[in-house]
Amino acid sequence: MANERPLWRKAIDAVERPVGSRLENLVQDERFSDVLAVTTHLQRALSRRLERAQRRLLHIGNLPARTDVARLSEQVARLERQLRDVSNRLEDEKDGHAEHPDPG
Amino acid sequence: MGMPSIPTPAEVRHRIRRDVERNALRARNGIEHVVGMNRAQVGLSPKEVVWRRDKAELWRYANDGVAYRPPVFIVMSLISRSYILDLYPGNSFIEKLVEAGFDVFLLDWGVPDEADADNDLERYVDEYLPRALEAARDVADTEDVTVLGYCLGGVLALLLAAAHPEEPIRNLVLMATPVDFQEMGMMGAIMGEGRLEPDHVIDATGNVPSEAIRDIFRLLKPTADVASYATLWQNLWNDEYVHGYQAFGQWTRDHIPFPGAAARQCATLFARRNAFMEGTLRLGGRPVDLQQITCPLLNVIAERDHIVPSASADPVIDLVGSEAAEELRLPAGHVALVAGRQAAKTTIPTIVDWLQAHSEAAAPLEA
Repeated sequence: MANERPLWRKAIDAVERPVGSRLENLVQDERFSDVLAVTTHLQRALSRRLERAQRRLLHIGNLPARTDVARLSEQVARLERQLRDVSNRLEDEKDGHAEHPDPG
Repeated sequence: MGMPSIPTPAEVRHRIRRDVERNALRARNGIEHVVGMNRAQVGLSPKEVVWRRDKAELWRYANDGVAYRPPVFIVMSLISRSYILDLYPGNSFIEKLVEAGFDVFLLDWGVPDEADADNDLERYVDEYLPRALEAARDVADTEDVTVLGYCLGGVLALLLAAAHPEEPIRNLVLMATPVDFQEMGMMGAIMGEGRLEPDHVIDATGNVPSEAIRDIFRLLKPTADVASYATLWQNLWNDEYVHGYQAFGQWTRDHIPFPGAAARQCATLFARRNAFMEGTLRLGGRPVDLQQITCPLLNVIAERDHIVPSASADPVIDLVGSEAAEELRLPAGHVALVAGRQAAKTTIPTIVDWLQAHSEAAAPLEA
């Protein structure tokens, strides 16, 4: 099938292969990781600022912000985890498992 | 270079007819693909859930022709969907293992949410894995099992075998399993000291979101989508190709969140301390020594793996205590180890051969 490659495909490959390989090398460069880290930090800082501003606005109108919902959701998750742990412990006791293996 | 031959009128007619037919099929398949009709059905091998705890489920695949013991117990990665091992009939690693006569179990981790954000490596290695292993042995009525881990599932399998030498593991098969995280390229470097902290990528659910994982994988092959769309267009007339493309494409977009606690530990233990290589690995406060692994081991390395470079999987054999440790290097990529034409032709048969050589004939089923 390879010899049936149409012209348009040959053209795409002629560009994609060298460009792709260069980009792959670039991504593996240590400096790329530095840049990615800095960009992520900036993005996080920016979204935190936006979130803070949004929260202030919503709280003025007595409305819950995303962080309030996240906090509630985290509390529910914590409860769910506790319930799950209790039920797992009960099941372990029934099956005769130790809660955690002996660290020995 | 010879002169290009001039096609005969019959050849021209044939080509025109073929192109018209293909374009009609392209149009049909293209529309179906764009509107999302005929979504690929994946993970279809018949199975039953034989154990579950929290989100983890142990599946046993139906097999009336089990010819080998012990059963094969597959440990899946924490960040990708397990159906890559059972993509669709005719392109399924699990189907091939079942056909080869193995009793196959797969431990699927489910999709973590807020309730799983505290899941650390100890929870997987000390709690889920030993219990699931026991359940598999009970159901299969067997003394021991062959454990097979793929990618991060291989890391969990290694940790299980090293932290719990008392577990009856007959053989250990590791596929594309990283141990030297200094060789992981960008994947390891980005979590290095002074760069990203795990908490920078953990979202409000307490987990690393699946989108972040997908984006990191995409970065490793930045132009992969272009090549893949071009190949799709070229083969859009071919129903079989389109089906495979949809199934595989679905999997590459379909990652699962990484539980926050495990992600933090992986960053510290592996990306920063390279603990497997340095021999400084500790779980639950106790040291974990890979020399404790003495069972026969097969380390399957994909030489063209862009996610787990072969250099990061190479040292396994030197780190474990097994005298019967073998290495299998295959000219494949990360996924081509388990799915696709190359997997069916080379990689899976080679792994099946090794498994059969390290197993025994199962007693025939009583009538």
